[in-house]
Amino acid sequence: MRTLLTWAAVAALALGVSTAASTARADDDVIRFGITAPMSGAAASWGIGADWVGQQAVKWINEHGGITAGGKTYKVALTTYENGYNSADGGKAAQAMLNRDHVRFIIQGIGTAPVKALQSLSERVGALMMQDAWGKSVKGPQAPLTFTCANTPFELFGPLFDLVKRQHPDAKTVALLNPNDATGQEVEVEAVKQYKARGYTIVLSAWYERGTTEFQPIATKLAQTHADVMDLSGAPPADAGSVYKELAVQGWKGVKISSSGTGSDALVKVGGASVEDVYMGNAADFGGPTATPLQRQLNADGLKALGEPVNILDMAAWDSAMAIKAGIEKANSIDPKAVAKALPTLIFESSYGPAAFGGEATYGNPQQMLVPIIVTQIKNGQTVEIERIIPDELKQRLAKTQ
Amino acid sequence: MGLFAQLCINTLQIGAVYVLFSLGLTLVFGVMKIINFAHGQFFTLAALLIAAAMPAFTVQFGLPVWLDYLVSFVLAMIAVGLLAAVLYFIGFERYLRDLIGSFILSLGLLLLLEGVYLWLFTGSPRVVAKILPGQVSFAGGAMETQRLVICGLSLAFTVALYQFVQHSRLGKALRAVAEDREAAMLQGIRYRRTSFYGFMIGSGLAAVSGGLMAPLTPITPALGSDYLTKAFIIIIIGGLGSIPGAILGGFLIAAIESVAGYFFDLSYATIAMFALVIVFLLVRPEGMLGYAQR
Repeated sequence: MRTLLTWAAVAALALGVSTAASTARADDDVIRFGITAPMSGAAASWGIGADWVGQQAVKWINEHGGITAGGKTYKVALTTYENGYNSADGGKAAQAMLNRDHVRFIIQGIGTAPVKALQSLSERVGALMMQDAWGKSVKGPQAPLTFTCANTPFELFGPLFDLVKRQHPDAKTVALLNPNDATGQEVEVEAVKQYKARGYTIVLSAWYERGTTEFQPIATKLAQTHADVMDLSGAPPADAGSVYKELAVQGWKGVKISSSGTGSDALVKVGGASVEDVYMGNAADFGGPTATPLQRQLNADGLKALGEPVNILDMAAWDSAMAIKAGIEKANSIDPKAVAKALPTLIFESSYGPAAFGGEATYGNPQQMLVPIIVTQIKNGQTVEIERIIPDELKQRLAKTQ
Repeated sequence: MGLFAQLCINTLQIGAVYVLFSLGLTLVFGVMKIINFAHGQFFTLAALLIAAAMPAFTVQFGLPVWLDYLVSFVLAMIAVGLLAAVLYFIGFERYLRDLIGSFILSLGLLLLLEGVYLWLFTGSPRVVAKILPGQVSFAGGAMETQRLVICGLSLAFTVALYQFVQHSRLGKALRAVAEDREAAMLQGIRYRRTSFYGFMIGSGLAAVSGGLMAPLTPITPALGSDYLTKAFIIIIIGGLGSIPGAILGGFLIAAIESVAGYFFDLSYATIAMFALVIVFLLVRPEGMLGYAQR
């Protein structure tokens, strides 16, 4: 009886292996996309939204004939991996994505620390990565397969701080708060440089650990500086909301900036009335009149599915998927290296309209997606767009094609 | 004066919750001699359930916010109680006084429960509606009114627990078991039953602190982890198994976080806490008020 059971188990195993092998063969016609993002914690809304928008992009591509290269048409599939917004979990996500699942096109990587952990492997195995880490060092000739799919401090801070200076000419002093990790450390350097260039005095640049739950000591430290401007640079929305709430309780009043603010929803939910008038450097009103019809549709569907409006980082997953589709078709190959060479040469249809890659002057390589820079402010609990700037480089590229 | 008052207020409000959370952990260790890494999951579950239930009740029954909170709080306590009882009978009962076994079991439960919470509640931060509006000021320092009330409730729970452990029959049994299990059993104290009660009270304290924190902080499935780390620091400094030690340690850690966090940096405050733990483990492993053997 025992022998019979053993042979039955072996037969079942063999059947399972052959089924898996046939599935793998079926996967030859599928290009696997991946996302690495925080799906829990204070930055979870970014990961959950990016995953949802990425799935919409994949659905759209599959419904519109897939991707054609080398005389073959491919369907697309997307898997999202939790990176915990830290390098340890980012490293685990990278192993699972690149070595276990053999993903070779990453349409969104969120968080500098996990993106750097992923990059150390993705460049080696030849996977193309779209990401929105804010560090300058992730791009350049040393990392030819890494592209950025949303604006970063190097694109955003100048226009944002210029606008704040115009609207609050009496403000002279700034206090900054950043998470004490790779994102915060890279953001802080650029923020300090840009503020100083505009004549501001930095009275405090404070740090905190991600995962902090009690923000009163930080708020006390910030409030005691009596700074005119409080910029919670790299703090994700839930953390920024908690700090603004405590600052309001402790009586601080001034100009509030959330340079990395990607939307009012989580900020308002946590910070309540204290976040009114916060300037955000990385947010957009995709339900408003300046959004494209596609963005309005995604925003409306996202509201129903997620209970939150779609933000810039979520939308970047759509734009990345479309850029990669265009890149594969232009290269006529699914080799990530060939696609990476094709990307800087093409103009593709993003959710904002025609977009391209540039930024060689800043990064040494044209690896930055050129999309509009949008400055917003929270008014009555809603994100309101107050300025939209089309990058000069994009204008020039589009003019050349006309 | 304003700054000093604010630092004191910060210490009080942070310490009140740390103490309540740590009391449960130290009680469980004292009675059962186990390290429960899943302790924070009771805290998290209570907060998550309140955050999930309150909006549903508001829509369904149109209750005022405070009543909504109260009903959700009670339901969350019942749910956590049931979970704690199940975990005790299927797991912890088999590993009483087994540090390694309970360590592995509770670490597994921590990962399992965090995954389940993530699946059930998603990782997106949830927020509970404000129960009491306004803020109070004292000598130039300020805090939200609801924080003040919740600090008061935390302290009231702490005092009640202390009195219970000092004077009630079960409290005396818990202390007796914590100090000398064999001697307690020779006196007729039923060890397994006392352990179960101790575990339930400890888990209940974690749930109460989670429920009290729910209106004050964004709630995610990872919420309990930060408090668990602090609680371990507190009970090592205060003395493993010591209730007065947990109270003293809780306020000491809150003071370090508040004062060192202000004058230096919050990262330095965290380093200072761990440095203190190392010093205690080397110089006085029984903690400030503990009775553990070297």
